[in-house]
Amino acid sequence: MKGFCCSQLFTRIFFPGLFPITCLAVVFLTGCSTSTVIDEYKVTDTHLDLNQGEQVVIMGRRHAGEYETEPDFINCIGGRLANGGQLKVMPEQEFLDSFYPWFEPRIAPLKLKRMSRILEDPMIAERIKSLGIRYMVWVDGNTETTDKSGTFSCAVGPGGGGCFGFASWDKASIYEAIVWDLKQLDEKGRVKVETKGSSYMLAVGAPIPFIAQVQSDACEGIGNRLKGFFLEGAPAESTTPASAPKRNSERMLDHRGMIKS
Amino acid sequence: MALVPLLLAACSTNVVVSGDYPSALTKPLPYHVGLVLNNSFTQYTFKSEEEQNVTMALGQSQSKLFDRVFTDIFANKSRLQTVKKQTATTPNPIDLMIVPSVEEVQLAMPFETRLNVFEVWIKYNVQVFNSNGEPIADWLMSAYGKTQTRFLKSEEAALDQATTSALRDAGVRLIIGFERIPEIRDWIEQKQKEQPEKNKSLAKSGDLS
Repeated sequence: MKGFCCSQLFTRIFFPGLFPITCLAVVFLTGCSTSTVIDEYKVTDTHLDLNQGEQVVIMGRRHAGEYETEPDFINCIGGRLANGGQLKVMPEQEFLDSFYPWFEPRIAPLKLKRMSRILEDPMIAERIKSLGIRYMVWVDGNTETTDKSGTFSCAVGPGGGGCFGFASWDKASIYEAIVWDLKQLDEKGRVKVETKGSSYMLAVGAPIPFIAQVQSDACEGIGNRLKGFFLEGAPAESTTPASAPKRNSERMLDHRGMIKS
Repeated sequence: MALVPLLLAACSTNVVVSGDYPSALTKPLPYHVGLVLNNSFTQYTFKSEEEQNVTMALGQSQSKLFDRVFTDIFANKSRLQTVKKQTATTPNPIDLMIVPSVEEVQLAMPFETRLNVFEVWIKYNVQVFNSNGEPIADWLMSAYGKTQTRFLKSEEAALDQATTSALRDAGVRLIIGFERIPEIRDWIEQKQKEQPEKNKSLAKSGDLS
């Protein structure tokens, strides 16, 4: 927003005739940008143990009435975490079906205490063991459209058709992932990601969309951070002593190097 | 004139619920249950003409769910045509007979709620009879499912997914809640007192299956 104000002032003083063109250029250049803020907390600095035959499962929270964590977002994180087969990740639906009904939204454990009670059932504990599920990552949040403006209309006639107008919309993704260790029955860390972005659609004849990839940027952010919990070389740098719990909050840059806030 | 029915059909939503349901991870009760799924249940179709015409055929899918769940929560399960009294000469007598029916279905679409979710509520009445054909429980059970709207996803697909999710929820309620119904709990206690030896052998066969 600050950048826009500066360019507006600059063109008004020095190049008043170029003002509308500059406006359009600024709108489209900033149009597809997203900003991502990641907040990470790890109990320990060392990478989490994952022995041969053990795997991770990523689950979405679906107990809230007004939203649900999107299954395709969970699959996206799973894909990133699997990192081309370096890490074994069990698909969410396969896990839900294997343990039906114990992780369905109505009765899924919200806290570790409840999880430990579920694991007291020998049938469930045995299946967790036989499938080698060591870590459970719960992801809560969703992506929603926060603002919409502009108008846009299309028409078709005997001589052809076309669209005219301009529309814009803002999207925000807020997700938090919590890592549970099912062997030690404790929490290993959290990653919170907030991504915002604006998309535009300009139509003069044919519609030209400028879509901000808000959800996929959030997936990339959270997926890469989670990867850092398990794999060496993944982005999980530390500035605190190994014994102390680590909180690593950062502001990221977008693909054009602009500071995201 | 011929276009009118075509246009009306184009404005209505027709869904055939197509969900599949997994096996339950639970220890079966050591009894023989008889499941009565009558035509009004197996061919149940929900129709709504409020604001938007919606037709949703969920009979086949809910029959599949009840069949699956009662196979898993009891050691033995049979399908019956009607509730009938079990006599001393009946081979492999049935301990409990279950007759489910749909009491009510409600839908909430995004245009009504202003939320980006399709919601489905299903209310069942699960009637339970003992081996003499006498009613012992009448359980009103409700289930809920939802799905978020998605870009380029049809209303039909969203309603199918929301209903499948409601049916999975109905399965959860049956698996977790059935033996917690006070009348069923009393019946189980009574049965355990009466026939401890029979229960042991059935439990063994249930474990083996």
